[in-house]
Amino acid sequence: MRRILAQMRKQLTQLVRDRMSLAMALVLPVMIMVLIGTSFKLTVSGLPIVVQDLDGSSASRALIDAFRASVTLHVVAWPVDQSPQLALQHGAYAVLIIPVHFGRDVVRGITTPLQLLVDASDSNTARLMSGYASRIVQAYNATNVPAPQPVQASIRLWFNPGLSDKLYLGPGVFVLALSMFVPLLTALAMAQEGQRGTILQVYVSNISAHEYLLGNTLAFTVVGLAECVPLIALLFTYFGGRFAGDPVPFLVATVLYVFCVASFGIMVGVAIPNQIAAISVVSLGGYLLVFLLSGLLFPIANIPLGIRWISDLVWGKHYITVVRDAFLQGAGWPATWLEILIIGGTGVTFYVVAWLTMRRMQVKA
Amino acid sequence: MRNFTKAIANTRFMALLRKEFSQIRRDRRVIISLIVPPILMILLFGFVLNPTVANLRLGVVDDSRTPESRELIATLTESESFASAGNYFSAGQLGDVIARGKLDAGVIIPYDFGRDLQRGRPATVQFLLNAMDANTARIAQAYAESVIATYNNGLRQSGLSADFRRVAAPGRLPRGQVVLYPAYLYNPGLVSSWFVVSGVFGMLCILNASIVSAAAMVKEREAGTLEQLMMSPAGTYTIVVAKITPLFLLLCLMVLGAIGLMKLVFQVPFRGGYVLVMLGAALCVLCGIGIGTFIATFTKTSAQAQLTSFFVNPPLTSLSGALTPAQALPAWLRPLTNLNPIYHFGVIARGSMLRGSGLDTLWPNFLALLAFTFVLVSLSVWRFRKQLS
Repeated sequence: MRRILAQMRKQLTQLVRDRMSLAMALVLPVMIMVLIGTSFKLTVSGLPIVVQDLDGSSASRALIDAFRASVTLHVVAWPVDQSPQLALQHGAYAVLIIPVHFGRDVVRGITTPLQLLVDASDSNTARLMSGYASRIVQAYNATNVPAPQPVQASIRLWFNPGLSDKLYLGPGVFVLALSMFVPLLTALAMAQEGQRGTILQVYVSNISAHEYLLGNTLAFTVVGLAECVPLIALLFTYFGGRFAGDPVPFLVATVLYVFCVASFGIMVGVAIPNQIAAISVVSLGGYLLVFLLSGLLFPIANIPLGIRWISDLVWGKHYITVVRDAFLQGAGWPATWLEILIIGGTGVTFYVVAWLTMRRMQVKA
Repeated sequence: MRNFTKAIANTRFMALLRKEFSQIRRDRRVIISLIVPPILMILLFGFVLNPTVANLRLGVVDDSRTPESRELIATLTESESFASAGNYFSAGQLGDVIARGKLDAGVIIPYDFGRDLQRGRPATVQFLLNAMDANTARIAQAYAESVIATYNNGLRQSGLSADFRRVAAPGRLPRGQVVLYPAYLYNPGLVSSWFVVSGVFGMLCILNASIVSAAAMVKEREAGTLEQLMMSPAGTYTIVVAKITPLFLLLCLMVLGAIGLMKLVFQVPFRGGYVLVMLGAALCVLCGIGIGTFIATFTKTSAQAQLTSFFVNPPLTSLSGALTPAQALPAWLRPLTNLNPIYHFGVIARGSMLRGSGLDTLWPNFLALLAFTFVLVSLSVWRFRKQLS
């Protein structure tokens, strides 16, 4: 036990002395979280929409006013004699074309078509755009057509009623920051030992593989938990999160997850005694896998079936589920116990692999 | 400029160029990082990052159990937006399952639904949406509303609606309905990968170029051969240009490979031809080389150079509109994208490949890329020269 603590103290002292690592441990995660949490969202606003009014009646102007009242769309008039497609080439996202006789048909009670040309080069924005437009038209119809809709939908938005993107992204980006920088620091420190050859001193000392690895894992778990503090503070302030239910599963999962990513770093650092190669492996495992395959941005159900199973192996995916549950859904243990078990199991697996590598090396030396 | 032309004609330059080429050829890592990341990134990002909202798991509580309610459920689930995921007996049970994340949406049809419709009274159906993911919820909401609208239109034709008109507005002439017909231009199939892939292409040009060139630049110093270069009669300009040229050529090959991948795997249309895209990509690669060289002049080891890029790359990629629309950025951050080469390349790539725009609309972005390239490359050359002298 004493040796484990000594190893841990040595690792922490080394970390504090290295300015670059310290900056990476404290500044980068916060920066990443704010940057990605602010920028990676899909809710567009202030989209320029061009209106070509071929009718020029009071009815058409009332319709345009309905569009103008929207916050998300920004109405720009477009001359009648110009091709509407030209507007799309020049930065408009959609063109609304009001046909001739629009006003007359509305007054006569004839169903009137209205064309919306949407720039679909970004399919999600296009979908949102036509959704907004059709809702505005529906509202216009509701004021015009006295017959009520026989069936009305009353839609309730659960867990995130304000449809805040930050509330959804925050937990994901928190997990991303942890999965990237804890293993990076760990792997760098471990690989350095191999690169500088100081690992040989470990071999000839009487410290056992378990003591060495446990000491390091403990040191970086402590570092990781310290990193959690500013990140969780950000979750509560900048991202506006609140615990939706029992916070205990979240706390347990956080400790286990930090252990899991730290032992991932240990495994990489022990197996690859080269800092550059270790960085590449960690950015692949920590960043790319968690960023892409853990449902951070878009639903996992959208990943093609052939590679969707990989996401079950990505440790970040399970932790994201737990964090989202803690901050949004609040279902607590019944929804998260399996995920927490998987996180712990993955961490132990990483540790065992590191130990197997280490043991072999020691015998060789 | 005269310096530059002289450098090209110089045989000393050719010798240095040969040295750089053979150095790169021997370096397995550079070759790997020119082949693996482009393929991996374009394929992974293109296939995985998909914001489409489809087949939402819908749970149903049908307390009415009438032909009308079954008709409504059928209308909901026969579209590809919602997929039926089980029936539940009570709203509480349904809510529980949604809270556990096993369902994305639920619909509750009240017991008097069919009766109300028969009597000409409006009926209300409750939708529960798991709105954790704001984007999905927003689109699902629009889907739900349009499905209900479709159902209402069906009712109108089936005679039930006559009652409604009479009950709701006795003696008034109804005004005409307005029907919106959206047409999706440039991407009628709403393929989401085209947007992502074109953004990743720009990220690739900048990030990969900067990483590869930083490694190449710092190597000389790491190996301690920088002094030898300084002792050689070659001028600093010659040395720098000879270092950049092979990297640029190899990265251009990478660009060709990426374009091939986009065309073959994702069927990106390339409506504006290949010339503009390649020109933009070449400028982007030069920008990336400039960034990499600049980083390299501040660092002593290649590990340090790589770690420094962790500070540079996140702002570059997240404020670029490469993966998510730049219009979604908060208003105070949006002006910053104008300083980002990835953003300008994204505009060029999407304009040319998808919309078929030409230089007449894209020239401001080309101008910006040119300016960045000029500034970054001359900045890095200046830093490098300062180091050498």
